Amino acid sequence: MKWLPQLARRLWMLFRRRQFDHDMDEEMRVHLELREKEYAQNGFSPEEAHMAARKNFGNALAIREVSHDSWGWAWLEHLGQDLRFAFRMFAKNPGFTAVAILTLALGIGANTAIFSVVYGVLLRPLPYKDASRLVVLNETTPKVGTVSVSYPNFLDWRAQSHDFSQMAAIQDVGFNLAGVTQPENISGEAVSPNFLSMMGVRPFLGRDFDASEEKPGTPPVVLLSYELWQSHMGGDRNAIGRTITLDGRSFTIVGVLPPNFRSLDKTDVMLPIGVWETDNSGEANDRGDRGDMVVIGRLAPGITFAQARTEMEGIAARLAKEYPASNDQFGVALQSIRDAFVSDARPAILVLFGAVMFVLLIACANVANLFLVRGAARTKEIALRIAFGASRNRIIRQMLTESFALAFLGGILGLALAIAGIRGIARLIPMDALSGATVNLNGAVLFFAGSIVVLAAFIFGLAPAMHSTRPDVQSELKEGGRTASASAAQNKLRGALAIAEISLALILLVGAGLMMKSLYKLMSVNPGFRPDRVLTMKMDLRTQQYSKDPVILNFWQQVLDRVSALPGVESAATGTSVPLTGSHDRGDITVEGMALPRPGNFPHPDFHDVSPGFISTLGIPLLRGRTFTDTDKQGAPLVGMVNTRLAAQYWPNDDPIGKRFMSGHPDPTGKRPPNWITVVGVVGDTKLYGLANPSRLEVYVSSLQSPDNVMNLVVKSRIDPAALTLAIRGAVASIDKDQPIFAISTMNQLVSDSVSTRRITLVLLGLFSALALVLAAIGIYGVISYSVAQRTHEIGIRMVLGAQPVDVLRMVLKQGVKIAFAGVAIGVMVSLGLTQLMSSLLFSVSTADPLTFGGVAILLVLVALLACYIPARRALRVDPMVSLRYE
Amino acid sequence: MYRDEIPPGTLHLLILRTLARRGELHGYEIARTIQQNSEDVLQVEEGSLYPALQRMLVKGWVNAHWGATPENRRARYYRLTAAGRKQLEIELSQFRRVVGAITRVIQTA
Repeated sequence: MKWLPQLARRLWMLFRRRQFDHDMDEEMRVHLELREKEYAQNGFSPEEAHMAARKNFGNALAIREVSHDSWGWAWLEHLGQDLRFAFRMFAKNPGFTAVAILTLALGIGANTAIFSVVYGVLLRPLPYKDASRLVVLNETTPKVGTVSVSYPNFLDWRAQSHDFSQMAAIQDVGFNLAGVTQPENISGEAVSPNFLSMMGVRPFLGRDFDASEEKPGTPPVVLLSYELWQSHMGGDRNAIGRTITLDGRSFTIVGVLPPNFRSLDKTDVMLPIGVWETDNSGEANDRGDRGDMVVIGRLAPGITFAQARTEMEGIAARLAKEYPASNDQFGVALQSIRDAFVSDARPAILVLFGAVMFVLLIACANVANLFLVRGAARTKEIALRIAFGASRNRIIRQMLTESFALAFLGGILGLALAIAGIRGIARLIPMDALSGATVNLNGAVLFFAGSIVVLAAFIFGLAPAMHSTRPDVQSELKEGGRTASASAAQNKLRGALAIAEISLALILLVGAGLMMKSLYKLMSVNPGFRPDRVLTMKMDLRTQQYSKDPVILNFWQQVLDRVSALPGVESAATGTSVPLTGSHDRGDITVEGMALPRPGNFPHPDFHDVSPGFISTLGIPLLRGRTFTDTDKQGAPLVGMVNTRLAAQYWPNDDPIGKRFMSGHPDPTGKRPPNWITVVGVVGDTKLYGLANPSRLEVYVSSLQSPDNVMNLVVKSRIDPAALTLAIRGAVASIDKDQPIFAISTMNQLVSDSVSTRRITLVLLGLFSALALVLAAIGIYGVISYSVAQRTHEIGIRMVLGAQPVDVLRMVLKQGVKIAFAGVAIGVMVSLGLTQLMSSLLFSVSTADPLTFGGVAILLVLVALLACYIPARRALRVDPMVSLRYE
Repeated sequence: MYRDEIPPGTLHLLILRTLARRGELHGYEIARTIQQNSEDVLQVEEGSLYPALQRMLVKGWVNAHWGATPENRRARYYRLTAAGRKQLEIELSQFRRVVGAITRVIQTA
């Protein structure tokens, strides 16, 4: 512990340095006086005594300095001096300082804002214990890819796997909650009882599920989300033990989830899955029934991801053999939980992060250029200081201090910009799509901002500092700062920086251009329906009250009658799935007469259970035959429609009208007669899964023949569809005041939302590339105007010798064009490689799209010429006489 | 009169020893004492005394305060601390070891 009092002594000295120097002087003066007196007593003359005392003592100034430095604060004092000097320099050149700080602030601000997204979405530690050991499991089929897991399969996985220490199933379920003010639909998750403990999450209040609650016959229990508990129970701690009515059934509240808890999706209530899946009867679901379930497992200690995959593939293969009817060709897919969270947004975020890095590099190049210009102006000062004995390191350190101070100021302003930017971005990004990622300013983001400040200071500070203190700087002093060689080297470096800026700007502009073209192409894709003036909303009838077909049919019919009668409504219909909503219903079909494939290879179209007016309301074209009518009801022969794709695939050479298919697989025993559905119409394909995705096989069946509790109401209006919402709510409430309506949206909104990631990426990328373009233009402007200023003398001579203005103009522009061409050439080459990285963001645009590349190249050359034009005009105005006298 | 430079590294030792024997001294007195006690053979480069004293202050071997000389002149007086006494022991034994070794080498060679 010796160092502590020593540090205290050092600090004590630090705060009274002035007094310290004063004391040293005083002490040494006493010494000299006493010594002088002694010499005088020994018979020296006063002058001799004075001289001898000083000669014996040595250089008092140097001794004071050495004494001072023995306290170890030299570095701090130099830093202080350097900082004071730096700020004096800033104050002397306010224009330079403002431009440099603003440029850096833009670069640092943009980086910090985007990094907050990178951190919030990609890096933020997931709020689960040992999240890296958690794996998400799905089933796969060769035909469809990733599909949900069937509950019996999950039970077998869990029983047979040793590589997972735990496994839990999670099933999305929706509930109608008879709410306080109006009925509402809430989201829920049915989970295995060990789910929360496996994730390392403890209830905020109450208890976790008990293993026994997976078994049938246990009383229904539920955990509430913290948010639902707050909004519906007012955060009352006595809510535990009370009951809540979901879909007309009563559940006992046993606990409250922690605030902001999310599993894979947002959830309002959580209940044990066993009871849900078996309907509390103990009778397991059909193995072939794959609803909306995923499985999460925790890897056993020491087991790698690859080992677990091998084991699971083995289990899946065994199950496929054992249960061919439901499992033939079904495999298993494993994914880290982090990938399950962010796989969609990752490429866009990484592209944007790369883009802002480029913006920062351009900003640094610009500031380095400014420093070089100023370094040139300071050559004499620096040469003088070296001549007076300052070491090169000392001067480099001093110049780096300046760049650090500048970067720091830029960083502060950049942070302010970032805070504003983060707010904007957070508003722009649909957080629900990013699994509740939180984008905000936090410690990690601040640390990143600090790091890029330091990095930036080095990037733009070191080269100019090395350059203006290079050893041959002495010749500058001798030759009045006009040596040809030195300024040639300077100009080369500055030219190279401008070229780099142009190339970086080109890369960004190409990226933005490709995104823009993709979005344009995507928006011109025919979605297969007419989204204009169509409103859609969803209703989920409570199973208790609506358990019989006639009741269900009656409800929907009343809804359609009353809504159709509303003023402004053109038509109304119901259907089980709406394009671009993500809620779909798929199932196997058997086409009459087809060779029976293996169980996993049956045609697997999207099912639409629709009312008669559905396809006309959505504007889906009827291509052959007829649509459903009111007579296609229960008791009448089953009818269906198919889309063009399905018709072309299964009846390529025949008229599909009159052909038959059935839902599901034929009964192998032949006891149950097939329920054939006769095709009465062929309709156009729709883009159910997003404009960028290919359309799939689709079949339509009549909801009058197979009623469904969950339906989307689609309404075509003559007026702004959103204005109808209230009237429709009223109409539904007049039939059943407890019926919630949710997922209300216009079809145009759905189309727009379906491309939102691309649009946000484009907006930000466009912003950054515009910034890059401006910065690069400033950069090339700086280089050319400085060079014109340097060459005033030369231009004057040329004009005296008979050069025409057009010659001078050509001379100046030639320099700019050279820089622009070099920058464009390098930029194009680098872009050709880099755009590959964003191929997943593009849609029907080549990563080397010649139109985009060409357009951007021309744009950059034009901007560069414009940036040169101003200094060129200045060159034209050079008065030969003045310029010759200039020296 | 010819005087010998003090061997490098022994300045601390000389200062510590001087202060140990004489108690409180100011810089000039330390320089003179060393000179006189060595019967004028050792010449302290007078200025170098002061950085050495500062280093010893940092280490905590001595402390300093301002006082008045007999002639009533303000001067900075140095005094040994407990840590300084300990350091003196260390440096003394180190010095004896080195001198002893050198002596043995000279005598047997």
